[in-house]
Amino acid sequence: MVKKNAFATVATMALMVSGGAMAQDTVKIGVNQPLTGAVAASGNYVTNGARIAEEVLNAKGGVLGKKVALVIEDNKSNPKEAVAAAEKLIVRDKVPVMMGAWSSTLTLAVMPKLVEYSVPMVVETSSSGKITTSGNPWVFRIAPTSAMEAKAFGEKMDQFSPPIKKADFLAVNNDFGRGASDEFRKMLEGKGIKVGVVETMAPEATDLSAQLANIKQSGGDTLFVTTGVEQITLVLKQAAEQRLPQRIITTGGSSSPDQLVAQAGEAANNSYHILFFAPWFPDKATNPDVAKAFVDAWKQKGYDFAGLTEGFRGYDGIMTIAEAVKGAGKAEPQAIRDALWTTKVSGVNGNIAFTKEGPSGKESGQNQPNIYIVQVKDGKVTLP
Amino acid sequence: MPEFLQHLANAVILGGTYALLGIGLTLIFGIMRVVNFTHGELYTFGAYMAFMLAGMFGLNFFASLALAALLGMALGALIEFALLRPLKGADIDTTMLVMIGAGIAMQAGEQLMWGGVAKSVPNPFPTDPFVLGPVSVGPIRLFVLAVAVVLLVIFYLLLNRTKLGVAMRATFQDPDTAALMGVNNGLMYTLTFAIGSGLAAIAGALLGPIFVVTPTMGDLVALKAFAIVILGGLGNIPGATIGGFVLALVEEFGAGYLSSGYRDAMGFLLIIAVLLVRPQGLFAAKERIG
Amino acid sequence: MTARLLPWLFVLFMALLPLWMRDQYILYVLTSTGIFIIAAMSLNLLLGYTGQLSLGHVAFFGIGAYTSALLSLGFDLDWGGAEPFVLDPQPVWLAFLGGILMAALFGWLIGRLAFRVRGAYFVIVTISFAQVMRMVALNWVDLTEGPMALNNIPPLSVWVPGEGVLPLYKKEYYYLLVLAMGVLGYVVIQRLVCSRVGRALIALRENESLARSVGINVTRYLVVATVISAGMAGASGALYTHYIRIVDPDVFMFIYTVTMVIMVITGGKGTLAGPVVGGLLFGFLPEVLREVARPEVQWIIYGAVMIVIVFFLPQGIVPAVTKLFAGKKKRAQRAARTPTTPRITEGASS
Repeated sequence: MVKKNAFATVATMALMVSGGAMAQDTVKIGVNQPLTGAVAASGNYVTNGARIAEEVLNAKGGVLGKKVALVIEDNKSNPKEAVAAAEKLIVRDKVPVMMGAWSSTLTLAVMPKLVEYSVPMVVETSSSGKITTSGNPWVFRIAPTSAMEAKAFGEKMDQFSPPIKKADFLAVNNDFGRGASDEFRKMLEGKGIKVGVVETMAPEATDLSAQLANIKQSGGDTLFVTTGVEQITLVLKQAAEQRLPQRIITTGGSSSPDQLVAQAGEAANNSYHILFFAPWFPDKATNPDVAKAFVDAWKQKGYDFAGLTEGFRGYDGIMTIAEAVKGAGKAEPQAIRDALWTTKVSGVNGNIAFTKEGPSGKESGQNQPNIYIVQVKDGKVTLP
Repeated sequence: MPEFLQHLANAVILGGTYALLGIGLTLIFGIMRVVNFTHGELYTFGAYMAFMLAGMFGLNFFASLALAALLGMALGALIEFALLRPLKGADIDTTMLVMIGAGIAMQAGEQLMWGGVAKSVPNPFPTDPFVLGPVSVGPIRLFVLAVAVVLLVIFYLLLNRTKLGVAMRATFQDPDTAALMGVNNGLMYTLTFAIGSGLAAIAGALLGPIFVVTPTMGDLVALKAFAIVILGGLGNIPGATIGGFVLALVEEFGAGYLSSGYRDAMGFLLIIAVLLVRPQGLFAAKERIG
Repeated sequence: MTARLLPWLFVLFMALLPLWMRDQYILYVLTSTGIFIIAAMSLNLLLGYTGQLSLGHVAFFGIGAYTSALLSLGFDLDWGGAEPFVLDPQPVWLAFLGGILMAALFGWLIGRLAFRVRGAYFVIVTISFAQVMRMVALNWVDLTEGPMALNNIPPLSVWVPGEGVLPLYKKEYYYLLVLAMGVLGYVVIQRLVCSRVGRALIALRENESLARSVGINVTRYLVVATVISAGMAGASGALYTHYIRIVDPDVFMFIYTVTMVIMVITGGKGTLAGPVVGGLLFGFLPEVLREVARPEVQWIIYGAVMIVIVFFLPQGIVPAVTKLFAGKKKRAQRAARTPTTPRITEGASS
């Protein structure tokens, strides 16, 4: 106990002495998220999760004896703005570490800046494989890649009855959707399961009847859907309208089943969802106390319950960063980056730790998260 | 064969709402020569009004639809009066820029009011679809088609059989002469913009319950509306109607048989193809140069 | 006299800026704004000088970006033949040139196609073209990687005496490069506008039927303007892609066209300085607004500023300022005015 306090005091004093430029009375963490534009809903959920983490941390005295201060910038769902936001956070606000930028293209756009300014970033949502295999040693991802998700699902697949014999795919036409579609297909084919129809939909498409009409005739028994929650709502409603025989499984963790139940009503019944956090069953999480506390804090702030399935990413991201700052002993980018390699956090999704991925000498950090499968039955979310 | 019929059914129903959007815009773009970038936002506004009235205030669904249309007309009139009237005589791009600015502000305002999370509009229609052989259609979609057709007929009658319609057409053809005949030009323009916006709003209110309501839902729709206007010929009301159905058919069948990825490009490809062969659009007289 | 010197003084000021401006963030905003100003200048050629409202300009920007990226990264393409077509990574400046040429080629195609129609039809054709390009970039995954994006694009490099070839990672150098390109673009447009071609374009903008009747081959000049405009937009797209070093179908987003249009019209279409002034204003405005209000309100203010400027200065900022400073200089004003009566301008006689 005494040692820890002494260490904290010395660290704080060292920080204060280390030079006028770095002396701040808070530990700043940059948050680069889409708060307006096409994917604003998700960006706001993640940011709310981050805010809860900030409060939790500050209630416990902050990090290194100082308060945590989130500096939040809107990247407007647009790569050019993502870069501008990163520039502002790093150059103007002098954040020693960032979290962002939600979608893979936004994150990929920001990545060269990390190398330019030597600042680490924790990636909380993006799923593109390229993020950790492009040789950028300042990237640390806590979210899973589609390949991991597919593999984890493959291990839990036997619980489905009737078993999956022929699968169709309907994915949103971006790296998230296509990546998931490709990985799940590979995984299924590896298990000898036939693949039927593979359809895509534009991110802003609302009428999916053409794709669904084709899927209806494919002879498959399962349809894997990968897209954001608004489009999943549309898929469910239109699939029910067209009397699609396939059972629907959504992937990617963005499905927010409560919102689906509220908006698709009966059409949501008997659908399955792969999530990275199941807020209805916090006791099933790897770290039930953390999960429960998070869910309670979220509810207390009056945030939309449906946002929990994405909000936790912001929470886990900030917690990871805070832990790394503690480990580094100072709020400096290089030190934080080195500390991230040895950071271990009990997060809402599970236990977070980074392993090396990518070309040697320039590896990025990747976490191995858990997945949860839930089913909607009679308007309620259950475990199958 | 079975998908063919389903695709056909889907296309016909979608075509109705596209037609409403197209007519609204052909009035404003075709006749008033305003590149109206608020059209998509009026569509979104109509959907949010339906959500607010039926969803938040619990009003009767059909009343909400009617009210949403009226509110859309009011907003359109306000936009015309406040933003367009002062610019009478300005370049087409100046007015376009003002419309863009208004559109940006409206979309941000919608997100500010209701947040970015999708909303759904409660409606009294059963979710079980009508099934006729291989074709299944949700009841609400049939309702939407019916309303669209009724509105199209009413509008056509308004324009061609009423005194107001005559006054409007006179103003479009020759404002000065119409003014000499006692027509209040300013009022006609405001009314035209209001009606066009009202049609966009009701299209949004009708489609809101079928799809979901988000602040960005109007973006792609606005561009498609422009495509419909061109297909039908600027200022050509029946043309816009047919254009709406043609676009829906091309999208449905293109997406169904050619490539679903390119669905939203179908309309634009069609435009380019049509304009290669027939530069004046499918129906209009040749656009005067200059 | 000062009016002619002014642009050059401005360029000198901007060139010396990095010497004292240490704030990297401002340098970043200036550079990315500069890239868009080049695109806006190219749009001004069409919008301001020929009077054609092209709303698909981002298509040329994107084509330049993708072409340059693909050429500098190398690619292999399955074209249905026995062997895929493989192209090795090309030197960056060659790729850059390729971007310009490809964009100019598409400019030629669109010019020939779109200029069969005018006015509203032209607007829609240009919009359609940009949307189709976006869909192609999105779906032709074999070539463009679609939404998975092309990343790790090499930066442009410059030969520095004594140090050999340096890749341009440093902000100050890229800023100077963009400035140089901007000046080049400005000069090209100025030369064009003051030449015979330019006068023909203005003639056709003021009164097309009359211009035709005096024997001006309208379509030919329109196509020339489109090719140059497209090539310049392609150059700015290539600059963008080697700066951000990633390109994905979002480069074709309609909002980028809107940004360019805003820059041109608020600055003053049909004037040389217009896009620069409008560009600086609307390049910095979103960044300034970041500090001021929450995200949704930032957009509302942005829209409101656009409307206010256009209401009070319908011809744009530059013409208004010119009018203010030199009541005698009616010429600049005339170039930007809407045609109300047919009149023969200087170009028509040649």
